[in-house]
Amino acid sequence: MKLAYYPGCVARATGKEYEISTRSVCSALGIELEEIDDWNCCGATHVSNELVAVGLAARNLARTELPVMTGCSICYSKLRSAVLRLEDNEIQRKVNSVLEREYTGAEVKHLIEVIMEVLEGADDVLIAPLEGLKVAPYYGCLLTRPCGGIDSPENPSVLEKLLRTLGAEPVDFRLKMKCCGGPIFMTEEVAASDTAFAILENAKESGADAIMVVCPLCHLMLDANQHAMEKKFETKIDLPVLYVTQLTGLALGLGAEELGMGMNSVSPAPVLEKLEEMRAEGEV
Amino acid sequence: MNEFAREVLRLAGDEVKTCIQCGTCSASCPTAHLMDNSIRKLVKFVLEGMKDEALNSRSIWLCTSCLACTVRCPRGIRPIAVVSALKQIYEAEGMKNRDSIHEEIFNRHIKERGRVSEFFLSAEYMLRNPQSAAQIISFGAELVPKGKINIELRPDSIEGRDEVKRIFEELGGA
Repeated sequence: MKLAYYPGCVARATGKEYEISTRSVCSALGIELEEIDDWNCCGATHVSNELVAVGLAARNLARTELPVMTGCSICYSKLRSAVLRLEDNEIQRKVNSVLEREYTGAEVKHLIEVIMEVLEGADDVLIAPLEGLKVAPYYGCLLTRPCGGIDSPENPSVLEKLLRTLGAEPVDFRLKMKCCGGPIFMTEEVAASDTAFAILENAKESGADAIMVVCPLCHLMLDANQHAMEKKFETKIDLPVLYVTQLTGLALGLGAEELGMGMNSVSPAPVLEKLEEMRAEGEV
Repeated sequence: MNEFAREVLRLAGDEVKTCIQCGTCSASCPTAHLMDNSIRKLVKFVLEGMKDEALNSRSIWLCTSCLACTVRCPRGIRPIAVVSALKQIYEAEGMKNRDSIHEEIFNRHIKERGRVSEFFLSAEYMLRNPQSAAQIISFGAELVPKGKINIELRPDSIEGRDEVKRIFEELGGA
């Protein structure tokens, strides 16, 4: 399978381990990624002018003939929103009057969709299934929004399904679709931390060994910000937050280094130890 | 309907006027409990032409753009587009606060370089809003040792930055 890859700005900085593990997992699964040449920022949640936001997305989409894959839920949502807006001929005409390459339509996929597709046909590649690991599947907001994407925006199950495929046990997790507050973290820290901390507490109460995320901004809020929030709210959480690609990579038998595990703020060591233990028990 | 209301409808879609004030948007909003005016009320302000009340509402800036309201609205309205319209009008009126300053920097960085560098975004924001310094520095202290912040002398630019600039100038004025 060959896909155009849209990394998004965060993949090159605070989401580096997502990009490292994405490339490792795709390579192990035989997915060839061709990075979109000279891609630009999708505008994330900060470009209020809708036509500009659509234009930014369209420039990226017009630069390839292949289906476009991204691992960032914000980029995924913005690219998909643009495809929906561009169905309006008037909007498409205006946007194309500015672009150097004409936008004529595009297919946008989230990384997890691609992983699921490949694993459905060949789950024998999962040489180290995550037996015994309890994981809180955190959808966040934009993976399923707007409507018409990877799963239902009200009652999705794709992440639970993926976790079961990997051999892990998804835990029931009430706030799994509550927004992490990331987009307003820089400017409205109180509101954003309040929101993110409720999610961490809920995941912890659900009995999970780790949270699985599919967006670098969710990761930033729940992982990189976890220590600061523990201090602020005077509550110990100590819950590893792993990217979907890190968990998939572990089940594929990839090494911690190939998955950028050393870059997580909350140490994923307890997850690795538990997997070792469960495996040792299984062999006895 | 006054000029302000017409401008919001132009930007956010004519369907906004079919709002039945059911409050599904507010009930779905993850930051509703922190807002001075709920999203439902913001829409009401718009339809009543209450410009000052709408533009001075903190709620505009507490929206995380999560789209929960937008996938649920039974009238097919996109409340997110109403919030975006209000942000644009706020900025066009020359009003400023820490949130609009952040948006302005973010947009300008894309316009000038095609991409956003978290390092330069945070650095400029910190200079423009010194109150954010403690938070940004503490976050940096967490991320820099992990190698996740690129401390650059000059930010990267993409080759197509002129095209990106045109996207902002030609589509942004429309």
